[in-house]
Amino acid sequence: MAIPVSHPALESAAELAACLESLADEAGAQDLQGLQDATWMLAEALHEAPEREPDPEALSLLRGWPELAAAYRRGMAAILPAMRQVLRHPALGLPLSEEEFDWLEARLAEGVPAVERAEEPAAHLDETPAFALDEAPAPSAEDLPSQASGLDVAPVPAQKALQGLPRQAQELIDLLLMQAGAVAAVLDNAESDPEAARDEFERFGNAARTVGLEGLAEAAAQVAANLHAGAGPELRALVAEWLAEAQVYLTAFTEPEAGAGLVARLADPRWPLVLAAEAAAAILARMRGPDTQWWQEAGPVRAATASAEEVSLALPADVNPKLLGILLRELPVHTRQLAAIAQRLQTGGSPEDIDTAQRIAHTLKGSANTVGVRGVAALTHQLEDILLACAKAGQVPGRALRELLLDAADCLEGMAEALLGQGPAPADALAVLQRILDFANRIDREGLPEPDAELDAVASALEAGAAPIAVPAAEPAPAVEESAAALVQIPVEQVEDLLRLSGESLIFNGQAQERLRRVKAQLQAMQAQFEQLRLLGQELEELVDLRDWSGRAYGRVRADFDALELDQYNELHTASRRMVEAAVDAREMGLDVVAELARMDEALDYQQRLVVDVQEAVMRARLVPVSTLLPRLRRGLRQTLRLTGKKAELDFEGGDLAIDGEVLGAIAEPLMHLLRNAVDHGLEAPEERARRGKPELGRIAVAFDREGNHALVRCRDDGRGLDYAAIRAAAEARGWLPPGQPASEQELARMILRPNFSTRAVSTHISGRGVGMDAVQAQVAALGGTLALRSVVGVGLTVELRVPLPLSRSHALLVRVGSQRVAVASRGLDQIFYSGVGQLHGPEDALEWRLDGVPYPAVRLGNLLRFPGSRPVPDPPGAILLVRTADSATAVLADAVFDSRELVVKDLGPYLPKLRGLMGATVLGDGTVTAVVDLPELLRAPGQPVAVAADWAEAAAIPEVPDVLVVDDSLSQRRALEQLLADAGFRVKSARDGMEAAEILAKEWPLLVLTDLEMPRMNGIELTAHIRAQPEGKSLPILMVTSRTTQRHRQLAEDAGVDAYFTKPVRDDDLLDKLHGVLAGAIAGPVRRGAG
Amino acid sequence: MESNPQQPAAPLPNPARQATWFGFRVGRFGFLVPEVLFGEVIEQAQVNPLPNTQAWFHGLCNLRGHLVPVFDPHRLLGEEVADPRKRRLFAIGRGERAVALWIDGLPELRDAAPQPPTADLPLPEHLRPHAAGVHREGERLWLVPDYGAWFKALGRSLAST
Repeated sequence: MAIPVSHPALESAAELAACLESLADEAGAQDLQGLQDATWMLAEALHEAPEREPDPEALSLLRGWPELAAAYRRGMAAILPAMRQVLRHPALGLPLSEEEFDWLEARLAEGVPAVERAEEPAAHLDETPAFALDEAPAPSAEDLPSQASGLDVAPVPAQKALQGLPRQAQELIDLLLMQAGAVAAVLDNAESDPEAARDEFERFGNAARTVGLEGLAEAAAQVAANLHAGAGPELRALVAEWLAEAQVYLTAFTEPEAGAGLVARLADPRWPLVLAAEAAAAILARMRGPDTQWWQEAGPVRAATASAEEVSLALPADVNPKLLGILLRELPVHTRQLAAIAQRLQTGGSPEDIDTAQRIAHTLKGSANTVGVRGVAALTHQLEDILLACAKAGQVPGRALRELLLDAADCLEGMAEALLGQGPAPADALAVLQRILDFANRIDREGLPEPDAELDAVASALEAGAAPIAVPAAEPAPAVEESAAALVQIPVEQVEDLLRLSGESLIFNGQAQERLRRVKAQLQAMQAQFEQLRLLGQELEELVDLRDWSGRAYGRVRADFDALELDQYNELHTASRRMVEAAVDAREMGLDVVAELARMDEALDYQQRLVVDVQEAVMRARLVPVSTLLPRLRRGLRQTLRLTGKKAELDFEGGDLAIDGEVLGAIAEPLMHLLRNAVDHGLEAPEERARRGKPELGRIAVAFDREGNHALVRCRDDGRGLDYAAIRAAAEARGWLPPGQPASEQELARMILRPNFSTRAVSTHISGRGVGMDAVQAQVAALGGTLALRSVVGVGLTVELRVPLPLSRSHALLVRVGSQRVAVASRGLDQIFYSGVGQLHGPEDALEWRLDGVPYPAVRLGNLLRFPGSRPVPDPPGAILLVRTADSATAVLADAVFDSRELVVKDLGPYLPKLRGLMGATVLGDGTVTAVVDLPELLRAPGQPVAVAADWAEAAAIPEVPDVLVVDDSLSQRRALEQLLADAGFRVKSARDGMEAAEILAKEWPLLVLTDLEMPRMNGIELTAHIRAQPEGKSLPILMVTSRTTQRHRQLAEDAGVDAYFTKPVRDDDLLDKLHGVLAGAIAGPVRRGAG
Repeated sequence: MESNPQQPAAPLPNPARQATWFGFRVGRFGFLVPEVLFGEVIEQAQVNPLPNTQAWFHGLCNLRGHLVPVFDPHRLLGEEVADPRKRRLFAIGRGERAVALWIDGLPELRDAAPQPPTADLPLPEHLRPHAAGVHREGERLWLVPDYGAWFKALGRSLAST
């Protein structure tokens, strides 16, 4: 009986039940409800008879279920009959009625994922299900037709003949087996599409030749010739049988009799073209001596000894913080998953676990390589190879490997924690890597050891001297790792909340201080009153004393009465004295309160300083040094220079400036565009520069600065400047400017900011495609910023971007304008004069203010700031603010300046764009919101500079058709490619796998597709086949970037129709060169083998 | 008044087929706000004007540290305030994505089944492109604008003044 490949690891019914339950959960998580229900049924069947000795046949059936489920999840509808037979098998005795069976099977059939993979089994060859449950003799060389059932989804297990071959060789054979499956799949449709079947067969032959199996290739060519010569079900059956035989050969081609059956079959008289005996003998000779020498040379050589550098967690100096952030987010999740799988494998596990672990290792390797964390990359690289070998062999790891996987997972978790600053770097990293290397090298030499032999293998490796290197217990972490320890991931929203709350604290602190000031003022008044009271009391006391004294002077006084006797004093004396004492006490108490309030004032001041510190600390959390952009700018410049053949160097100023990370990220793309434009349009060719007397080396200067609440970015080149004549010609050609109509240089300069403007007749991918400066302007406008151009013909062009920062601190004057208060940022304020200084002359619409004989144009603040219901400003004004603009000074007349302080300036929120003349708004101590005015900007007459405010309609009109579609399942790889291509001037769209890419392609076709090979759901090969199958996709350039280095993968890619194949790590320049070449139509043929 | 405090307010979703709504009145018009949006009547709010803006924009108010723009839909729609003493400030959305509108009276819970708007609806030009649905009840039109898009369009038109 041909049972699906079963899992020996699942020995006991309990283990099997647990495995099935886990499988059902996974199916549920993938929304494969049919599979989930069926798997639960099977698990319950085991649970329902716990006391009973499980039927061995039932167990055997159930052990094969995970394999069926895996095939089902890969979208192979062909295994449905086999699943049906398992479910209905009497040995299982599922308590279902016929109707319920039908319902369950219908759910299974409906739920097959819509993915047809290249390795679709040969079940299409005939109506025989791939996993036939009927009893059949074990395959033998004499019983070749029965081998047709070997063309199923599972890898052919009997590969003992290959076990001595290197890993690469085994991979190549696996490839051929896969290709055999692909041929079988199309054979099913050979009647309707015979050409496809012939093509696939030729590919199979080519693949065989590529791997050195010349005999097989020739035999395949014979079959292909037969397919050309004939058709019909009999021929298809012959081909199917031959393919089955080919599979047998592939698993045993090193055997003495290998290939005999394969060649003998071609002599069958039923073939349209029967192989002649001489030709058969020649083919057979080649079949027994395959040229596999190069296998030994193929692929990179694996190191024998791990080095300390390979486990280093040091980050590269020019690490991309964005990619690092992604890695730090991915890393803990993936390492946790890997650890869970390693743990699960300790008690069994399944081949799916191995597949998942391999994919995780692959993803981590890619991400770590992209960011440059060598320790994680090296460990996962070796781990992936081991897991791949296990997956290919369909073998669950034995004890030794399981323990090694667990150690590796622990080590990776430790590395993740170290990178996240949650712990030290794992001390055993080097030892773990060495053990993994030893194991991987052993697989290379001897193949994957049998589970039982693993322990011996490791033991013998230890004895042979490949012992793990002794590592000092606590290796000190490098300095960079220490800096990594400070990294904490906090969502931006949380930082914003902290900032808002600290702002609120500051407001309430301000309110408390305000109340304190009032209390102090009231206390001062009270003190004055107490003093008054004390004086009055004193006066009264004197009066009382005087009257008494007078009385004593004029009345009768007994001679025997002492003047000091009490009865000489009446109640008035007592009251007046008590009043004086009370007044003095009240004053003393008042002084105590004053002292207490002073201490409270100090406490509030201290609290204010603390809150300001907190606020600044939180603000700093959002800030990123501008210098982090420098590597990206240099790379972009280098690439553009290479493409244009020009020479230039980059000056970078303001690198120490720290600005909001999101703003910096948003500025990066327009800035890269400016840089490319500066090279492509601005700088002259070296010869022309020489003619003009300019240095051969052009200069491009990028300078960052902060101006109030704005980031100011200037990109300056020393090229030819704007070519106004060419701009005019282009504008006239587009009908934007009537021919001959005068236009100022400023007006002409604005033309280049219009959508689709280009002075180029031919577009390039560097710039000049008409989506250049308008895109820059739209991006800047979307940030609420402005773009200004300053060009001098023959000297160069400066493009200035002013982008508001979402939040900042600024010093400001609080000014009264009519009944309103505004904060005037001190930026541009030269001097402040109070009423009475200087003289005001002239009519209201042409006011002039003179100071020491120097006239200044004057304007009332109330006229600059039109508030509803504002009243005329008193004359003379309460304060005169002398504001310095670019080339002059203006006197701004304000009602009064009543305070000056540091403010937190906020932007106006998501619904209000930048308003002219406003830096933002602030919340004052009493909770009121006040506009923060930027006087220099307000004084600039609208339209005076070549500054373009936000034009959302134009921004929205920019076409969104992508240039390049990036397809990769690794987020960090995707982001890295997106950034590289965006920096090179391409519009990029990305997809997580082939399925998502296909969905995008159903709506729009890019200029080029850049895809990974291995991806879930639909891989790169399948995607390429999908694209090539459509008329629009026949000539679409497809580039593949993968970590797969073997020739077989290249061959697969070529066969599918990939235009260029790159193996990671790929140099950015190489990739971009090829990309430009492909787009320019320079590529002459398919795969360039040496590329990358 | 608060509703569904667990629901995130940002971004304002395009309301479609909501069963229960907050209804509020602006002159002759009624507006429906999907229940999933956060709504809040702001008591004792001080609205601070911004310079060089239009009359239908009243300014900003401080709502627990967030700067909330305040629009006057009466001016936008050319409607009279029914009773100035009963005018309320109603904030739609939460956090930095909240926007406040002056409304007549208090908002109320309503059941409604808005339909797609027809071309002949008597709506002002600035509102027409953002009307996602309309529910008729007698003479009164209950509008369901795409609030996010409408507020953004109003903001853009402020910037162009």
